[in-house]
Amino acid sequence: MRQVLTGNEVAALGAKLARVNVIAAYPITPQTAVVEKLAEFVADGELDAEFMKVESEHSALSACIGASAVGARAFTATSSQGLMLMSEMLFIAAGLRLPIVVANANRALSAPLNIWCDQQDSFAVRDSGCVQIYCEDNQEVLDSIIQAYRVAEELLLPVMVCYDGFILSHTAEPIEVPEQAEVDKFLPPYEHPHPLDPEKPVTMGPMGVPEYYEEFRCMLQQAMCAAKEKLVGVDREFGKRFGRRYGLLEQYRSDDADVLLLTAGSLSSSAKELIDRYRKRGERVGLVKVRAYRPFPAEELVEALGHAKAVAVLEKDISLGWAGALFTDVSAAFVNVKKAPLMMDFICGLGGRDVSQLQIREALRAAARAAETGEVRRPVHWLGLREKIVGLGV
Amino acid sequence: MTAALPGIPEEELVAPGHRACAGCGCILAMRYVLKALGKNITVSMATGCMEVVTTPYPETSWRVPWIHSAFENAAATASGIAAGLKAMGREGVKSVAIAGDGGTADIGLQALSGMVERGDNVLFICYDNEAYQNTGIQRSGATPFGAWTTTTPIGKVKRGEDRPKKDIPAIIAAHGAPYVATASVAYPLDFIKKLQKAAAIEGPTYIHVHAPCTPGWRIENNKTIEVARLAVLTGAWVLYEIEDGKFKLTFKPPKRRPVADYLKLQGRFRHLTDEEIAEIQRMVDEQCKRVGIE
Amino acid sequence: MNKCTGCGMCWLFCPDTAISKDKPAVVDYRYCKGCGICANECPFKAITMVTEEGR
Repeated sequence: MRQVLTGNEVAALGAKLARVNVIAAYPITPQTAVVEKLAEFVADGELDAEFMKVESEHSALSACIGASAVGARAFTATSSQGLMLMSEMLFIAAGLRLPIVVANANRALSAPLNIWCDQQDSFAVRDSGCVQIYCEDNQEVLDSIIQAYRVAEELLLPVMVCYDGFILSHTAEPIEVPEQAEVDKFLPPYEHPHPLDPEKPVTMGPMGVPEYYEEFRCMLQQAMCAAKEKLVGVDREFGKRFGRRYGLLEQYRSDDADVLLLTAGSLSSSAKELIDRYRKRGERVGLVKVRAYRPFPAEELVEALGHAKAVAVLEKDISLGWAGALFTDVSAAFVNVKKAPLMMDFICGLGGRDVSQLQIREALRAAARAAETGEVRRPVHWLGLREKIVGLGV
Repeated sequence: MTAALPGIPEEELVAPGHRACAGCGCILAMRYVLKALGKNITVSMATGCMEVVTTPYPETSWRVPWIHSAFENAAATASGIAAGLKAMGREGVKSVAIAGDGGTADIGLQALSGMVERGDNVLFICYDNEAYQNTGIQRSGATPFGAWTTTTPIGKVKRGEDRPKKDIPAIIAAHGAPYVATASVAYPLDFIKKLQKAAAIEGPTYIHVHAPCTPGWRIENNKTIEVARLAVLTGAWVLYEIEDGKFKLTFKPPKRRPVADYLKLQGRFRHLTDEEIAEIQRMVDEQCKRVGIE
Repeated sequence: MNKCTGCGMCWLFCPDTAISKDKPAVVDYRYCKGCGICANECPFKAITMVTEEGR
């Protein structure tokens, strides 16, 4: 069934179609409509779930942890400062191996306060042990949430589905909404292998003494790494049933490209437009989009990017004091690879700053220059900066 | 086993072998909690003494389903458990949250407040040893006036805790919780009765149990119960219930003893001058007057 | 132990579940930490604390 829906609406719809049992979420711009929509579904009896009016994001994920531990399918959604407040529990949910799905409307981090889109929030928690998926459009958001529960429950890992705040969360797009009966066939009910149950008491979250802690973390790492194959498998199955597939990466006109853009999220759509224009002129450029960021698809990226002369990473985040997360991780993927492209990092779109075609072109041109000269003098650049106004010597 | 103490269930759902200190009052409280509530519960426990001493992987003392997630969120996790159980139609299992005074009165207060405000079906138990004992005796909002702790040391300029004890039961009662009670490990029958009463209520209930800490209070290991009893007999700790907003004293000390009898057994009060003890006596007198203890 | 009436107070107040509700009460030395609460609370002074000898 075709409907016109915003990113927030599809996030709520995804949870509804996944038949979540417990929703515990705290409103924060630009995610609020997710919580409101779910409250409506429950109030109208359209979704048979417990809607918890939690008093903070930290309690939201804590409640999801409790619910998931007894075997209930749990869902939360947040953004930015909420994600930061929740972050303690993200690491804990992963360590406790609970298959909670967290929808995150990507938004800038304070300070200063900013409600608009960038990806600093979810990149800041990339170490948490949550699987992270970055969606390009609302259809992908809906499909990814449904897929997320399969991945989460089969591996016992929390999964975070990220979508750009305002750009996707508040933008209505035509969506193919899967039928409930089809989703039910794809997503069986959740069954935790050893939930909290008086008939079979278990202790969850003990003190992990030095004699055992490292092993626990290694097991978590193994599960995260296994998530790569799981994501591919679940996506393939989803594709067979619903006709839409996404993969770990998307390679857009990249096979024979000398210069490649690397993106994540909705920015990929804008960048693809520029790629098309350049291709019309005969330039060998392309784009690789990262969809699954954790686990990091290092091998797949090396294969997708390795043949290029230069790669321009466009990302809406920065690890202050160094570079953006995507650039850092993809550089590391190439560290022992003999034939590696030159790489440049373009920090852009922070705090909702629009990333224009001109800005993307600047990045592409810089990468093309690097491809030509064979050198990169400065790896990290900022796009769209109003240097003169604030007197920055960047 | 003899037929003695018929009101107290014999089953031990907290297994021995835990790493609690010799004479620990809090683990005794845990024993009573589980005797009162039985096995059809889930326990959500905050980081703290009890959590740490009962679950050094790969061992556990808990013969009931038990989860620890973080320090400040025992109530939120328990609320989630209650919601999950309800959503799945699992009746007959009670969600219980347990935290120390730190995980209740300070860092845990927000989550507890949310749980009560939402009316979640959770029994929250605070075991109060009056400081952050697990991390080495730092003060909490529940540390009584005048007490030595490592963060309220006795020095030239400052002498011990200078703030009165935060009244958490009153805060929870003010939220409109249907049942709030105080208890003491020295009065186990009373504690067990209150636990069973609270557990039977569908909704947010709260019990605050006074439980001495032998290293933290600087008391001899064998004096735990004696000290807890003296707290009650001197009026320093009052045993009561608040049911649907109505206050009821559940124990009235027959001839209230001077608070010095309670303080002098504890090294954490050793530094007190006669004047400071008199000040504490005044505070206790006022408290007793308010609740109807002569 | 001949003063023990099996009242159960020691069993009740033991933090380590290390003494039984029997007449006479029996100590499980695997778990007894020697806190002495039992001896202090016994209404009949039927329990004596003895320092453990070194091995």
